[in-house]
Amino acid sequence: MDYPPSFGDPNSHQNDHYASPMSLPPSATPRSASARDDTHTNTSSDNRFYRRPSVASKKSLPDMGPPSTVTSHHPNSVAPSTPFSAATPFTPRTVDTSRVQPSLQNIVSTVSLGCKLDLKRIALQARNAEYNPKRFAAVIMRIRSPRTTALIFTSGKMVCTGAKTEDDSIQAARRYARVIQKLGFPAKFLDFKIQNMVGSADVSFKIRLEALALAHESYCSYEPELFPGLIYRVIQPKIVLLIFSSGKVVLTGAKERREIHEAFELVYPILKTFRRLS
Amino acid sequence: MANYQLYRNTTLGATLQETLEEMISQGALTDHAAGKVLSEFDRSINLALDKRINKKVQFTGKLSTYRFCDNVWTLVLKDFQVKDNNPGQHNTAAPSTQVPRADKVKIVACDGKSTAQA
Repeated sequence: MDYPPSFGDPNSHQNDHYASPMSLPPSATPRSASARDDTHTNTSSDNRFYRRPSVASKKSLPDMGPPSTVTSHHPNSVAPSTPFSAATPFTPRTVDTSRVQPSLQNIVSTVSLGCKLDLKRIALQARNAEYNPKRFAAVIMRIRSPRTTALIFTSGKMVCTGAKTEDDSIQAARRYARVIQKLGFPAKFLDFKIQNMVGSADVSFKIRLEALALAHESYCSYEPELFPGLIYRVIQPKIVLLIFSSGKVVLTGAKERREIHEAFELVYPILKTFRRLS
Repeated sequence: MANYQLYRNTTLGATLQETLEEMISQGALTDHAAGKVLSEFDRSINLALDKRINKKVQFTGKLSTYRFCDNVWTLVLKDFQVKDNNPGQHNTAAPSTQVPRADKVKIVACDGKSTAQA
């Protein structure tokens, strides 16, 4: 991915000030060092992004070492205390939950900038901003790295969506706050909170949703005429799953990454019993 | 009668304004009359571009930045290129000589419907 150099200029959202907080540990330095200075932040974040599949594939290797080695490979991976690491047996292929892991798709976070904002001025001065007060009372702003969208309200509250990791979400929110700051508002960074996390997984077998809905009546809602997926509500952790007959699963409602994994660990064995044999 | 004044910045509009200013300085025209001429220019060019132009042009570019404020889209494109698709002309040499490539192009787009109503 190559970003236009114009993003490196002072009015842009990509400011080099944030290069150092996000710089990676030596183990995760970009393999190809970019000659261009303005692409530095992009390169490192991209690189970090691309690392994830490699870690995932590492997890699926049969001769997997202790979980600690996995986390050491990847600074943003699951914390060692998560159920995946704890529950993964050292002898693989006994519990096949280790085969399938939900991956994060979206994180929604909120933060308060602690000052009233003139949205019209923001829309006129900032780049990549949309403001249509007839439609929606917020400025919609986007940045390319981390690729996210922010809704900025006149109260100074901001919603940041689209990030794939917790680090990306807070970093993106900080960049938006910096953009607002550069326009001359006394923006602070108060009460950052992750409000929702969405994950997805593919169990790679088809599922008999009707049977599942009957057997787990109290947790399920399956109305194929309204929505093709089965809605499964896990009580503890409080997660909602959308289960599709294709075997694709969406998990939402989490405040922490751990809850997504916990809910999937709970539901995966159930899904296996409702596998469609065909 | 409110018409968009953004076409005053075109070559046609700029030369018209220069001429008007020259005439004002010579005393051949009053400020008020020049204003009338310019507003007539706004009206007719909006009408002409709306009704009398049906040529379509295709272009490509990478969106660098965008803005939507006051119902005006401002788009900055990089690597701008006009696609040459004139089936009648077979100019094998020198493709798209009329519109050269540009590193950056700014597009300002207003709502076309509101002019018709205004």
